[in-house]
Amino acid sequence: MELVSGNRLTALGALSAGCRFFAGYPITPSSEIFGTMMEELPRRGGLALSAPDEISALAACVGASLAGHRAMTATSGPGFSLMVETLQYAVMTETPVVVAFVQRLGPSTGGATQGAQGDVLFAELCISGGGTIPVFAPANAVDCFLLTRAAFAWSERLRTPAIVLSDKEVGMTLEGVDFAVLPEDPLPPRPPAVGGDARTVVTGSAHDAQGRMRKSSPEVIEVITALQSKVDAHAGELAFVRADLESGADTLVVSYGISARASLEACLRVRAQGGRVSFLQLLTLFPPPVEAIREAARGCTRIVVVEENMTGLYAGMLEPRLEGRDLVRVNAVGTMVTPERIEAAC
Amino acid sequence: MLSAESYVEARRGPYCKGCGHPLVLRALADALARLGIPPLDVAIVTDIGCVGLADGLVAGPHTVHTTHGRSTAFASGMALADAVLGAGRLKPIVLIGDGGATIGINHLVSGALLNPDVTVLVHDNFLYGMTGGQSSAFSPVDFVTATAPQGGFLPPLDLARILTAARAPFVARTVAGDRGLVDVLERAIAHPGFAVVEILELCTAYATRWNTLTGTRLRDVAAEAGYELGVLCDEPRPTFADAYRTRAPASAPVAGKASSVHRSELDRPVRLVLAGTAGERVQTAASILARAALSCGLHTTQKNDNPVTQGTGFSLSEVILAPGPILYTGIERPDALLVASADGARELAAAGMLGRAGPDTLVVADEDVEVGTHEGAELRRPLRAAAGPKLAALAAVVAWREATGAIPAEALREAALARVGEEYERCLIMAG
Repeated sequence: MELVSGNRLTALGALSAGCRFFAGYPITPSSEIFGTMMEELPRRGGLALSAPDEISALAACVGASLAGHRAMTATSGPGFSLMVETLQYAVMTETPVVVAFVQRLGPSTGGATQGAQGDVLFAELCISGGGTIPVFAPANAVDCFLLTRAAFAWSERLRTPAIVLSDKEVGMTLEGVDFAVLPEDPLPPRPPAVGGDARTVVTGSAHDAQGRMRKSSPEVIEVITALQSKVDAHAGELAFVRADLESGADTLVVSYGISARASLEACLRVRAQGGRVSFLQLLTLFPPPVEAIREAARGCTRIVVVEENMTGLYAGMLEPRLEGRDLVRVNAVGTMVTPERIEAAC
Repeated sequence: MLSAESYVEARRGPYCKGCGHPLVLRALADALARLGIPPLDVAIVTDIGCVGLADGLVAGPHTVHTTHGRSTAFASGMALADAVLGAGRLKPIVLIGDGGATIGINHLVSGALLNPDVTVLVHDNFLYGMTGGQSSAFSPVDFVTATAPQGGFLPPLDLARILTAARAPFVARTVAGDRGLVDVLERAIAHPGFAVVEILELCTAYATRWNTLTGTRLRDVAAEAGYELGVLCDEPRPTFADAYRTRAPASAPVAGKASSVHRSELDRPVRLVLAGTAGERVQTAASILARAALSCGLHTTQKNDNPVTQGTGFSLSEVILAPGPILYTGIERPDALLVASADGARELAAAGMLGRAGPDTLVVADEDVEVGTHEGAELRRPLRAAAGPKLAALAAVVAWREATGAIPAEALREAALARVGEEYERCLIMAG
């Protein structure tokens, strides 16, 4: 067993997947990912670059990825704000890249050392036109490792940026981890795009199937809609959840990230007192695992959605898809949601 | 045999008659042909604006059309990754306008400092052309643009001086119609590092319409702005990749693993808060406790908190030890508060943690530190006087362990020795 943080395992997960390039600008609460990469990549023959800002950081990662090398950056809300332009570029150019996004209290500079789950929709809905970016939500250090690997795998399979969305509590809390349970097999090698033996044409502007900049035409629209349909086509495979269901339960508790831990604790307490409640932890936030939620909610009339933001952001996104069930939000700002409050809502 | 057409098509493309962009493209193709660089080793990385339409004219090389002002950042990532991780054959050549250079001046400065093998051609026609002829930071004094109809009054940005100051190893400034343009571009591309060529040009859509400007007048514009022309700096220095390879550290040992060798009788979670002063190894003490717990097969979490400032004020660590998995990592009711200094005591009170202490909470505190009112039981020890400020928090952990027996002494001792060595003995002074 080793005492290790979620941030460190995010970095080690990336390395295990074959990440060879990291460019970042440190920001609390994600800085340990930067620090680990600066320490580990050089000694493993990789390249870690301390970028002067977040815009340069993600642009360098996209450049490295275009040249065929697995790349990642890490940031928090204020830095992610600056990365959005380049993230959209990665969507449009279908460039795989992973962003480890460790949330802190916002808006703006906000609270550097306070956790939050306030960027759950910001991370996803920052793409003009609404293209879906895979977003994964680890709740503990081992999840950080596994979901970072998943982010690389899906980023490359779907040729899209992917986000590992943790938060200060998941990223910075140290936990005992048995390294023997962590997989180490790297993903298959990537062929270079730019710099390979086939001429590559890349553009962030609207383009035809050959990558040539074009004004709107049926082919251009087809290329743009394919950015979404390729993700939709795999939504089922991408829907990672952990279900702890109880037959006869009337209430399903749905949560993700740090709040999922308090939620499970609350459910266990309810059950210990003879109550019946089901629990579903979402490891994939986008594309939304709607089918998995509906399946888990079968027979339930109430769905309690637990998350650490002001208005229940993810709950609001789910609400129209819950087919008339009562939706109860349990939220907190500037502090973790406690098991007591979730228990009271069950 | 490679010809200019192996790189760029021989047509004017979308550019206006008299525009400088196709002249530069033609010169670039000639320079590449002279150097004989395989077209697939070249990536033409374009910025936004009219200059970004060049992609459609590029024949052999890869093309990457990027975002406004950012082209150099993308190209730098590409070049650095290829040089350090890949085949080292890729030569990105950035085509950017003076508008893009205004927006992304920081990327040019960073490029100069990093020194990737990237060539940047700044097409300086003194305005933003595609969006209607607005002034850029490069517009000369008295230059008429869409946003300066009476002529500009701000001095133009001297890119060559900025980039020379940023240690760019190759900087040149020239004029689009110059006979020597191909020679300059050839030198820039052959330069093994970051090379920037600023090329003064005509925008015949706007600049020549509003100003008395011709190709031959460009030299006068340069003179009036105090610009030198020619190769202004050619001092090769190690590229980023060369320097990185030399400096990349050899493999260092990884932190020792805590293997489960001790036993703990703990049958319920124990939640502790260590409070002290930043820089006095509070987090180290917490980490020693957490590692000791791991060595007993317990589950553990550790969370650290300190002010945004580093090295001053309080330092707080929360540690949970449990026989089973720890779900919620917060501490609503602490089982122990370990107070190593006055800073720590103040923060415990301010954070409301002191108020959460109940009758079962053990408060281990330095004997001289004033701890506010609480409901817990107090254990006072001369932590700071006996162990010293930097071991006071660890001494509190020792005192807590002695009082509760939650983990074996040997487990704590081993974890402490691995971290602070023989200094650990000073924490034992209060034993018995």
